[in-house]
This record gives sequence, C-alpha cells and structure tokens, in this order.
Amino acid sequence: MTPTQQVREIAGRLLLSGQVAGVIGLRLEHGHVGPHLFASAEDLAALVLEPRTMLAPVCRMILSEFPEGRLGVVVRGCEERAVIEMAKLEQVALDRLVVIGLACSSAMARECACARPYPERIDVGEKAEGALPMDDGRVRELLALDLEGRLRFWQEAFARCIKCYGCRNVCPVCICEECVLQQACWVEQGRIPPSLPFHLIRFYHVADKCIGCGACEAACPMDIPLTALHTLFRERLRELFAYEPGMDIEQRSPLTTTLQQVPFADGRGE
Amino acid sequence: MDYRSVLTTCPYCGCGCGMHLPVVNGRLERPIPVRTHPLSQGRLCIKGWAAHEHVTSPDRLTRPLVRSEHGLRAASWEEALSLVASRLGGIRDEHGPNTLAFLCSAKCTNEENYLLQKLARVVFGTNNIDHCARLCHSPTVAGLATAFGSGAMTNSIPEIEEADCILVTGSNTSENHPLISTRVLRAKRRGSRLIVVDPRRIHLSRFADIYARPRPGTDVAWINGLMHIILAEGWEDREFIAARTEGLEALRAKVADYAPERVEAITGIEQQQLREIARLYANARRGSIIYAMGITQHVTGTDNVLSLANLAMLTGQVGRRGTGVNPLRGQNNVQGACDTGGLPNVFPGYQPVADPEARAKFGKAWLGEGVHPSSVRELPAEPGLTVVEMMSAAAEGSLKAMYVLAENPMLSDPDINHVRAALRNLEFLVVQDIFLTETAELADVVLPGSSFAERDGTVTSTDRSVQRVRKAIGPPGDAQADWEIIARVARACGADGFEHGSPKAVFAEMANLTPIYAGISYDRLESEWLRWPCRSPHDPGTDFLHGEGFSRGLGAFTPVDYREPAEVPDEQYPFVLTTGRVLFHYHTGSMTRRSPSLDRELREGFVELNPMDARRLGIAEGGRVRIASRRGTIQIKARLTPAAPEGVLFIPFHFAESAANVLTHRNLDPVAKIPEYKVCAVSVAAD
Repeated sequence: MTPTQQVREIAGRLLLSGQVAGVIGLRLEHGHVGPHLFASAEDLAALVLEPRTMLAPVCRMILSEFPEGRLGVVVRGCEERAVIEMAKLEQVALDRLVVIGLACSSAMARECACARPYPERIDVGEKAEGALPMDDGRVRELLALDLEGRLRFWQEAFARCIKCYGCRNVCPVCICEECVLQQACWVEQGRIPPSLPFHLIRFYHVADKCIGCGACEAACPMDIPLTALHTLFRERLRELFAYEPGMDIEQRSPLTTTLQQVPFADGRGE
Repeated sequence: MDYRSVLTTCPYCGCGCGMHLPVVNGRLERPIPVRTHPLSQGRLCIKGWAAHEHVTSPDRLTRPLVRSEHGLRAASWEEALSLVASRLGGIRDEHGPNTLAFLCSAKCTNEENYLLQKLARVVFGTNNIDHCARLCHSPTVAGLATAFGSGAMTNSIPEIEEADCILVTGSNTSENHPLISTRVLRAKRRGSRLIVVDPRRIHLSRFADIYARPRPGTDVAWINGLMHIILAEGWEDREFIAARTEGLEALRAKVADYAPERVEAITGIEQQQLREIARLYANARRGSIIYAMGITQHVTGTDNVLSLANLAMLTGQVGRRGTGVNPLRGQNNVQGACDTGGLPNVFPGYQPVADPEARAKFGKAWLGEGVHPSSVRELPAEPGLTVVEMMSAAAEGSLKAMYVLAENPMLSDPDINHVRAALRNLEFLVVQDIFLTETAELADVVLPGSSFAERDGTVTSTDRSVQRVRKAIGPPGDAQADWEIIARVARACGADGFEHGSPKAVFAEMANLTPIYAGISYDRLESEWLRWPCRSPHDPGTDFLHGEGFSRGLGAFTPVDYREPAEVPDEQYPFVLTTGRVLFHYHTGSMTRRSPSLDRELREGFVELNPMDARRLGIAEGGRVRIASRRGTIQIKARLTPAAPEGVLFIPFHFAESAANVLTHRNLDPVAKIPEYKVCAVSVAAD
C-alpha cells in the first residue's frame, strides 16, 4: 500500500468507528490540492499527501467553529509541532484532535532543512534521517558574510516586500487578534516596501514559537528567505536555553519566563 | 458540521491567482492560496488575501431598485425587468437601435460578457457595445493586431522567469500585477538583466540594472531611438527580419531621424543610457518586454504599442519561449471580455462585424433561419461606439439609453463632470452591479448582481489562461448571478436563445463560435491547464504565440513618428498629471474600499509630488493641496516622494472624493479611442 492509501485507510477507520466527526487533510479536486474536511469515508478517495501544506491553522479554524466533538488530522512532524505550540497558546485543545502521523522522506527533509521530519508517533512512512538546519545552503551563505554583508542581504530582501501579510496569515503560531503590523504607530501604512519594523515585529512576535515549518517563506510572493532568519534564531534558542518550540507542551519559552526559570507571579510562563 | 473549500480564481487583477475559498457554516473565511496553481504557486498579494471581505459588506445590493420621484426605491424583479424591457425596447423602436449602448464588464465572467454582447446585437440590433478595456489596453488590441495579428500577451506568465533581459515600461508591476513582479525579480536573481523605463521611480526600479526616466508621453521617441542605435550598430536580427517580417526599409528610414542627441532632447534619457539599454536588450538571448498602461493611455497609445512591436521584431525577440511582447491586462477578466466579443467592432474571437462571412456565421447561429421574435432580422455591420464616444453621444442626445454591467464610468472615465452630464442626459440608464456605485446612483433601474464567490463561470487571465470561478455561497437577498439576470432581461424582451440554464452551456455555445476557444470546455478545465488559442478538443493550448509564424503571416513593421501629448504644461497649468493605481486598491474602489484590511492601509487619495516642487510651493507632507485642470478642481492630501519627477504629479484614480478623473481630458488616440490618462496639464497649490 502506498502511504496515501495507508492514510486513507486509517482515516476511514476513524470516520467509520465514529471516533472523529471529520478528518482534516489535503484533497485533490479540479486538478488542484487544498485543505479539506473529510466528513465521510467515501470522500477519502480524493485525499492526497502532497504538496506539503501546513494544516495547523485550518485545524484551529475548524475546531473553533465546531466546538463539539473530535477531529482527525493528518500531521507531518512540523504540523505536530505547530499543533503543540498552538496548544501552549490555548489555540487548540489537543484532546479534541486525533492525529494520523506521517513521516517525510529524507529528500523532503533536506528540501525543508528539517531536523526531525517525523511526528512523535509514526502511523505512515518510515523515520528518515533529518537534515541539519544550519547546513542549509542559504544559512551557510549568510553566515559566510560579515555583519555589514548580512545587513545588506536583509535590506535587499526586505526591500522586495509587497506587504501581502502572507507570512503572517499562514503562520501557525502567529495568533494576535489585533495585529500590530496594521497599526500606523508601528508601520507606516499604504506604502511598499514597508519599513524595517514590519519585518522585525513579525519576526520577534513568533521567534520563540517558530517551529521551522517554512510556511511563511512558501507564501511569500517575493521569495524572501524568512526561514533562514528563523533558523538562525532557533539555533541560538537551542544553544543558550536548550529550548526547542513544539517539542513538549509542558516546556515554556525561555523568553516568556525569567532566566532563573521562575514563573511570573500570576502564573504565566509556568 | 458544514465546512467546504471551493477552488476559484482571484477577482482582482489579471494575474489570475488561484485560491480556495473556505466556507464555514455558510460564511466565507479568508482565502487559502493554492500551492499547485501554475500562476500563483501558493502565493497571493494583499488584495487576494482580502478577496472575501467585500462580499459580506453591509452595502451589498440585495433588491432591484427603480427610480421614483423620491429617488431609488426597492422593487420586485418582475417590475424591474419589465421596466427594462419596455423602456429599452421602446427607445429602440422609436429612435433606432443605435440610440442604445451597452457596457460589458472586465470583472464579469466570459459567459456573462458573451451573453450581454449577444443581447445587444441580437435583441437590440446594435454594435454599441464596449467596456473599460477601451480605457486600458485598446491600443494593445489594435497595435499588436496590426503588427502580429493578435493583441494579447505573447508569452505565458511562468515564461517571464526564462527571459535573460526584461524591459519593463509603463508598468508598476509590483503594485498592479504583484504575482508577475514575483517572476521578474526571480529572473533577476537568476542573472537576468532588468531594465525599467518609467517616469516614476517605481518599486521595481530599485532592482533594475538600468532605470531610465523619460518625460511622460515621449515613448515613441525613446523606442525609435533604441532602434536607431540597434540598426547603426548592426544589432538587428537579420535572419528573423528576412524570414518573418515585412516593411523594414520604411522603418529604417523613419528611425534614422531619431539620433540619440535628438532623443535625449525630447525624452530626457541620456544618450549613453539609451545606448546601454539598446545593447542589453538587442543582444539578449531571450529579451522580454513587459508593459501596461504607461504605454497605452496616451493619444499615441497605438503608436507606442506599434513601436514596442517594431523593437521586438527588429531584434528577433518574439515567437520563442521566454521572449516576446507582454501587455499586462489590469482586471481579472479584461482579456476574456475582449475575447468574448465585448467590443464594438468584433464578434467573439475578434471576428470583425464588418466581415460578411462573420456576420453570416453569427447570424445563422443567433438568429436561426430568419425566424426570431425580436425585430432584429440581421446583425448590424457597422462597428458601434466606443466608451468615450458613448459618453459624448449621450451628452449631445444622440444616445438615449445605456445598460451598464458592473462598470463605474462615473469614476473610471475621463472628465467626470462631463460623464455626469452625459449620464443625466440619458432617457434611461440601467446599472447591474453589487454595490450602489457612483454610476448606479444615477440609474433609473439598478439590478443587484453577484460577487465572484456567488456564481459559476470562467475568466481569462492576462496570459490567456482560461480558468474557472466557482460558486461558494449564494448571493445576498434577492440578488442573482449576473448571467441569469442578462438571460432574464433577454426573455423579458421576448427573445429566444437565452435559455442555456447554466454557465457551462453558455460557454459551450461561445466556444463553438470562437475558434481560439473552440477546444476548451468545462470538462477539460477540470484537469487541464489551457491557454488560448486552443482550437480543438486535443489541442493542448498555446503558451507562447507566433512560434511558427505570426497570426497575420509576416510580422509588419509600422514606422511611427513621435507626437506631443494632447495637452502639455503651460504657464497656467505648469505640471504634468499622470494617473494610475496603487497596490492596496482596485479600480474605482467599490470592492477594495469596502474591504477593511485594504481600507486600513489606504483610506484616502493622495497626490504624489517631488519634494523640490513641494518646497517651492510651500506644501508639507500630508498637507492639503488643490489641484486644478481645465476640466475641474479637486482637493487632496500631498505625499512627498522623489519617486515623482520634478514637474510631474501622480494621483491614483480609486477615490471618489478626490477623483483624479475630474482633472483628465477626453482627447483620444485616433485608432484605439483611448483617452490620455497619463498626461494632462494641471496646477497645484497649497490649500
């Protein structure tokens, strides 16, 4: 059985047994692929696995719209980490999700510079070796530049920005209801390219939550290599605090606790 | 649990980006970009991301409206339709068919445009049918048809990445075709040379190898200058010229007059820079020209387009993958509205109304064997009026009634004060739209149509890709799908031939009569990507045009001379005004200004002016200024930027309260009848 057939079969069992009211996955329809809520086993013939598409935000939307019952969702490693990070932010209730864990191939891992191309429990596929994010060609190119060169690199890249907000819209961990990027006191409105604060604010709002899925970059009409920026920061988080977002729901970001790991008085950061 | 996701096409510019529209419990959510989509590849611009917002605006029209003594009042469909049928029919019978005129819509589907032009021609017997393609790319349709035999983008959008020299002129691509600027910058990063020629220092100019700044309205001069240099240096493609073209000698004689010194004097482009542009473009392996309204919206629009076509043929930069002449069309279906016959001189598929064979073909299909309930016995042979001519005819009284489908000439046409007088002078005005636009406010009957999310159909993107739009939700209140409304009007007039029952059936009828669409069907579009021409069920469609030969056979060189713009600055009106669009809004703003995330970015109009001019006039950033032309005066906020050259102002035309087109004039290109939105003379003063 191909991985696609295996996922269809597991999803079918979940639906038929009544364990879930629907399964969130990718559907091929009219020759194109997009997120879909499979509500019956018959629909599953159209379920596909590629192209890789971050489904976590769709999960959040559907869960919040339908407050009852459980849903299945097909997750790759990055999507599982996204869901965990969203659960930390109280965006999804993990006990309402039944995951179908899908492992990526090593080729996909290299393409995404993904260290852990599989979810916690693998239902379909085999655990492949991950790639080292810091070995990514673009990251190495960047690190080969001096500080001035890196600044010029990012200035040129950000100058391309046409302010579509796609990076924000697709990010599974970018969750503010009122977005400061749209506030004139932070970013001048109605002009492109937006000034540097647009990128810096977006970046640090998600920097310690970023699970490295690459959805921001995949949505960027100007091909700004946002993943490289996040990879470098994630590496520092790992080095300095031994912290990696999306791994453990109990583990909170070191940037929202004190350096001594003392929780905030009101319990936030615990 | 009602969650659906509907694949459709963005309703904004001509890029034709793909999106899934999620529908949760009957409510639209933010679109999801389509990663498998060959044009947009999982990306959208800010307008695409906001495409659902206008759909649920509280301002949507939900009932037909009929004018009474006290203004517009709600009415039933029966009342509105019978009024439309009796008044339009009455005016036709009393004053003749050519006292009626119809505006199609570049925002509506191929099916709707096909039906409306059929209604005009078959039920009312007039070719007075046009739409705002007249105001954007009519010189392209005319100019490229003369040079090549077909007036559309010669290449597909993905091919732009394959060019190794891209000349962008008169196109602010990043703002008006964002997902095409993606391709331009990708090509640039892969080593392609980028040349930008534009009076405004647009976003793309930051990345250009060469940015040249001509004076507005001097395009023929610098393009002739390029050809002068190319011929002098022997950079022309002799093999291509000999095999594929005719008329070089006349062109050679003409461009001999455009030595670089003279060109610099006319255009302001330095000789050395002009030479460098000529060298890069002529010697590129795959040179691609991208242009838009900076080229077309001039009284010399057709000449400008002909010049670009001359340049491409002279250097053999057309008819292969990745190289050609690429007009970027502004609206989601402006290409399709032209293709399906929304023009006064051609039937669908650019088959001339003046051609007896074409008339016989469409007459047979539409009128049967001379048995038809309407009074029309044969199709009219005389080409009809164009958009601006319609307004003039309305003003002088020879045009009595108009039917306007989803267009807003009260903001989009030149010299708005004149447009208002013209529309008020009509005996009867019907407007079919989703909002009570500035034009609909003047109507006698308003018919509530559907948004892009509420109906089925097809649209044709700027690169000739034919794509589906799909109904995700129903229209609000009593509003209806526009194709259904047009069919109901036809039936109310007693006409046969409008009982299709579905957009699919309309498309099939249209494709059957339109050779460039003949091989396209809804069934094929389910699994295939098709660009016209696609002439048979097994034809895979056409990525780039003119590969084997030009549509007209040999490519035709047409020598053209530089002519001054119709209105040049003088003592009283010392500035040049150029108009256009910005990233955050779309055309007359009826959709985008009702979209909160777009409105938030840009709430009001502005005039862009150079800081040196501003200092001289005592104008501060954000200050109010008064701008006057011979047609009228507006007040508007100042935006100081070196993007504007000294002596040149730019105003986007989206904003009714500071409408740029109060200022513009009605002088037309003699061939394409496009007004010169890009040059008029104005004065500016602090308010």
